[in-house]
Order: sequence, then structure tokens, then C-alpha cells
Amino acid sequence: MSSRPSEITISAEGMEVEIIPVEGEINVGPQHPGSGHMRIYVKVNGDIIEDVDMDVGYVHRAVEKLSEIRTYMQIIPLVERPAILDSINMNLGYIMAVEKIMGVEVPERAQYLRSFAAEVNRIASHLYGTGILAIFLGHSTGYMWGFGDREVWVEILQALTGARLTNSYIIPGGVRRDLTPTIKEMTLKAIAYQRKRMAEWRRIFLNNPNIRDRLENVGVMSKENAIKWGAAGPNLRGSGVNYDVRKAEPYAAYDKLDFEVQVYKEGDGYARTLVRFGEIEQSLNMLEQIIKEIPEGPILADRFFKMIPPARVKKWWDGMRRVVFPGYFASFRPPKGEAITRVEASRGELVYYVVSDGSATPYRLRMITPSYRSIYVFKQLCKGSRYPDLVSIYGSLDYFPPEADR
Amino acid sequence: MSILSLILFYLLYPSFFITVIFPGAIFALILLLLMIWFERKAAAFVQMRYGPLYASKRLGGALQLIADAIKYAISEIIIPNGVNPTLYALAPMLLITFAFIPIAVIPVSRIPISGSILSKYFLAFYDPDIKSGLYVGYFVPFNLLLALGLASSYSVFVLLTAWVTNNRFALIGAVREAFLSVSYDVLIVMSALALALEYHTLDIAKIVQSGIPGFIANPIAGVVFFIGVIMGTSRFPFEIVEADTEVVMGPYTEYTGLLYVITMGASYIGTYSFALLYSDLFLGGWAPFSGLPGAVWMTFKAVLVLAFSVFLRSVYGRYRIDQAIRGSWKYVLPAALASIILGLVVGWLWIR
Repeated sequence: MSSRPSEITISAEGMEVEIIPVEGEINVGPQHPGSGHMRIYVKVNGDIIEDVDMDVGYVHRAVEKLSEIRTYMQIIPLVERPAILDSINMNLGYIMAVEKIMGVEVPERAQYLRSFAAEVNRIASHLYGTGILAIFLGHSTGYMWGFGDREVWVEILQALTGARLTNSYIIPGGVRRDLTPTIKEMTLKAIAYQRKRMAEWRRIFLNNPNIRDRLENVGVMSKENAIKWGAAGPNLRGSGVNYDVRKAEPYAAYDKLDFEVQVYKEGDGYARTLVRFGEIEQSLNMLEQIIKEIPEGPILADRFFKMIPPARVKKWWDGMRRVVFPGYFASFRPPKGEAITRVEASRGELVYYVVSDGSATPYRLRMITPSYRSIYVFKQLCKGSRYPDLVSIYGSLDYFPPEADR
Repeated sequence: MSILSLILFYLLYPSFFITVIFPGAIFALILLLLMIWFERKAAAFVQMRYGPLYASKRLGGALQLIADAIKYAISEIIIPNGVNPTLYALAPMLLITFAFIPIAVIPVSRIPISGSILSKYFLAFYDPDIKSGLYVGYFVPFNLLLALGLASSYSVFVLLTAWVTNNRFALIGAVREAFLSVSYDVLIVMSALALALEYHTLDIAKIVQSGIPGFIANPIAGVVFFIGVIMGTSRFPFEIVEADTEVVMGPYTEYTGLLYVITMGASYIGTYSFALLYSDLFLGGWAPFSGLPGAVWMTFKAVLVLAFSVFLRSVYGRYRIDQAIRGSWKYVLPAALASIILGLVVGWLWIR
């Protein structure tokens, strides 16, 4: 507001009329209902956005730097914090890297449980993203439904892991708690509920002419551009690229699960939303398969399980189907080495690169989050679109600033 | 004449009773709170929540709105630097005033020559078109024209509100209002013109007294008029001027406290005065009643229209400004033209 270089002032007989030029800048954020935790510096010409500068970093938590002074177990809650509504996947990628360095074999049941938690988390996260998209478009029902339906899945995570958001469920060598019959029953109920709700979602949100008008042909990203700009996850698949880490490089139990990768070739905001809805349905199928096929067995690698004192095993594992941490976890030192892992987080490919120098803390931890990769996509997609579409593109990318800032 | 009947005479005097008590200021204020409560409750019902609840559980949380109103009324009004304080305070008041003024010229009911408590105003408010008294704040034979003219001045004060606050988001909101006002005013005036041609009159009372509700005589005009109203008063899916995720609060971005409540209330009052007009033009107004029951019946229908237009929030998001303008010129304007042709034909063949 302070500087208006190209302003014209007409003065006639003491009356001054300011004419604001059609070209100008708008500061969207950091205190703005449609900005999230960042400032979007928008250069507009009339209603058309000429350029967008992303001023990110408002929620930077120095996760990568902090993890250089934390032990490996302390890093688990730390890496979850950037995307608390996607914490299982954030956790899973990191643990997979640590396991790679240590050379730990994870039992079959624990692999299935990892997939289970990750898919529950994916549903919750996609519902959250849809809710945010809905309120960006002014559709308050979609917003409330997204958060309301998400609650069902968060409750399941709570029953399974003991925490609603920052689950810290996955530990080196396995998972913390076992799937009990009660949770199985809860999940089956939730699947039936969510299937019923998907039809209602389609009626009020996906097939709503108003929402379709706001999303179709908005923020169109061609296949070439999606690859060039480094889009990830549903945004990439919405542009016709058939790439899913769960298929390309299966981890956890995904090689044994039957699911389809959702690909839409339109590349607009509506396609990205459809990908998310399709993924929710695929996740529901996967959860059913997991409940049906999950093998019996231990949930923690033998090598760690043997370290737990027998009295505690009797009380916690035999009694409550939970594992307690062996003392080894307090400050274990993995061998020298480095590992890179990829997981398909809810918003896309999540990469961890962990370097161990043989001490109790990693030498370096690098995380490349899917939202980080959305920043450039967001900037490019906004160019040439209309100003009201800024929020439409933002919501359809499911860009989550804390995850990008880390 | 005893003192009591004298008081009653002045209390029920149309110019006072309609504008100040019912369906005017006092009723409108209560209705405003009730409507916001209804809007929140209806949206909550659709959205699987309770909505306002704890302020008065037995009343379904209706007192929450009064609590909100008190909170807003006593919170600090922050006047931004570099604005003209007088205009800054005056603009929202002008806004709500001009949202409200059309109520004064919209006929609310008919006054029978005898038998009603209102019959003593028969001669003072005699309408030669319907050969009966008219219960209206201020009678003019061309009240349709006057009501529309007054209502359309509303957008001028939206622009004023934005202009005095010197905020960039407010200016964008104002430009949006300016674009939209051209679109919706045309729709409203054309569909009203269709009815005027159909009933051969510019007197709302004559339209009501013809006994045929406008929506039956000309459904196209009814739909077009309603679209114009929700566009003009920022109701979903055309809540474009104050789109909060895009332009914060549009023209009202810089307003705080009581002044903000006034700007927010103005859009509801604007919808309400249009709803009263809609009730008269399209839903048969006070017919078949007359006197005070007619006024209640006519207002009841207006409240239903208002409730429907605020309920749209839970179904729709908001359109983009270019979509709204394109829609109104490309699809609704031809419909408005069709309604005029329909009005001409029906007026020529059926309604005399």
C-alpha cells in the first residue's frame, strides 16, 4: 500500500482524484483468510495474475538442523511435526531410512500395520485437504464435512496408536501397538460409513455445478509441465503421469495389496480433486484387504524384541499387545552409512536422506516434502490465471505450508 | 377521542408503524438476529454440527446472536490512519439506511373501508388504482419504480464504504460490486418491467390485488428477479463482493466493532427489503387478507424468501466475478428478455 509508483493524480480546482492503476500488487498474507502460513505477493493486471512471489518460511522449524543434535528416537516426533495430519507417512519414511542403515528386517505383520496406519492417515489427510479446498471456494458444507468425516479416521488412529495426530506409531523394527479386534470392528464400520458418505460428497461437492465451474480448467498443468516443474503425488497424477511410489518402489505391505493408481489426464483443479477422492476409495479397499489378509506374528523385529525384559513383555505384549521400548532405543548408534528412502505420503512423494556417522545422532537428515515441491508448481500455475483462482489453485494443490517449510 | 385511542391512532399510523415497528426497523432488527441464527442453525444441520447452542440451550442457542451483537457493539472501533473519520463512520450508516428505505414505499397490506382497526386511514392512504386504502409507509402511484430506484442506490454506498477506507482489498471488492451492480440491476429492473407490462401498472398494490401471484403469471421473471436479488445482496453463490478467502471482507475489510455489524446487517436488511418486494410482486403479497393480518401474511412470505436465500450458503460455494457476470449477461439476460415477452403476451391475452 505504501508505494504506488505508477499512480496518477488528477487535480482540478482543489479536488484531488486518485486513480489507482489497474496494475498493482496485493499482499495476500500472512494475515489473510486465504493465505495460510505464508505471504503470497501477487502482481495483478486487472483481474489477471501476472506473477506470484511466494514468501514462504513463516513456519520454518529447522527440523533438518535440529535432527543433527537429537538421537534417532527423538527425531521420530520431530519429523512428524511439519505435517501433523500426515504424521504416519512422515514417520514411516524416516524409520525406513534408519532401518536401511541398521539392516533391520521388519516382520510381516508390522509391515501390514504400517500400511494400515498409512492408509487411514491418507484418508484423513485427503479429507482435510478437500475441506480446505471447499472453504477456499466458499463452500462451507464441504469444509465441515471434510473435518467431520476426518474425525472418524482420526479416532481409529487414536485407538490404534494412542494419539490423534502426532502418532509416533512406527519405530525401528516394527510398530508400537497391535491391531486388536475392537479396532478391526471400528475400521469396518468406518469403511461402510465413508463409502456411504462418498456418494453424498459427490452430490454436494464434486457434482455441484458451482464447484465444477470453479475447478474445471483452472490451474491447468500439462503432463510435460507437471514433470518439468516437479509436481508430486495427486497433483502429478492429476496431470496424467502414472507414478505412485507405492507401485514404483513398493514398501511396507503395498506389494501384496491390490489397488489402482488414480490418474486423470485433464491436469486441472478438478482432476486433482478427483484423484484425491479416488485415492480415498482405493484406501478403503486397501484397508479391507489388510483386515482380511493380515498375518499373525510379532510386530517388532526379533532382534529388538529380545532386548525387552521378560517381565515387561509379559505385562505389555502378552497382556495389552503393545511393545515397550527396549533400553537399546534410548541412544542406539547405527553403523556408519547412508540411506535414501521414498514413501508416497498423502501429498506425494516424500524423500528422506539420512547419513549416519556412527554416533547417536545422524550426521545429516534431509527431507524433501511433497508440499515443498508444490511451491514452484503453485507459482507457475498462478501466472495468467484470475485473482479469485489463486485460492482455487492453492486448495486444489493441497499445499500445506508447515510441510513445505519444515 | 380518548387519549388511548389517540395514542393508538398515531401508533398504527402507516408511515410510523410500517417503517418503525412492523415490518420496519424494530421487526427487521429482531428478524436480522433470527435470520443469522437460522442461517447458522440450518448450515449446522446440513454440516453435521450443532451450531449455536450454549448461550441458551432451551432456545437452541438463539441468544448467542444477542451475545454476539453486544460483543460487537462494545468492542473498539479502530479507525485506520489516513481516512476521513466522518465519512468512515457515515458510510456504513448510509449503507444500512439505503438498504432499509425501500421498505417505506413497499405496500404491506390493503386497508378495507370498514371493519378493520386500520380503516380510519382509508382516506389518507387511498389508492385509486385498487379503489381501496393501501397500508404503506408513503404512498405514490408509481411505487414499483420508486422502490427499485431506492434499492438500486444501495450499491453506490458499498462503493463509498470501500472508497473511504483506503484499502486495496476494499477497492477490489468495490470494483467487483460496481461490475455486479450493473448486471443485477438490469435483471431486477427487467423482470419487474415484465410484471409491470403484464399487469399494466407500476403500482405494486394493483399487481397484488389482481389476485394472480406474479410467480404463476410469469415464472421466468420470478426466477430472474430472485437471481438478481441474491446477486445484489451478496448471498451465496454470488457472495463475490465480500469473498473472504479472496478479498478478506471486500469493501468492509477495515471496519471493526459496531460499524462492521452495521455493514454486515445492511446486506441482510437489503435482502429483506427485496424479499418484501418479492413477496408482493411474485407471491401474492397480502391477498386474500387485508388490514394487519394481511401485513403479517405478506411479511411471512418475505421471511420465507429471506430464509431460502440465506440457506443457499450451505449448498453452494461462490462463483468467480467473471463467471457471475458472464452468467448474468449470457444466460439470465435472455431469460429476462423472455420474461418481458411472456409478460406482454400474458398481459395482452389474460390479465386485464
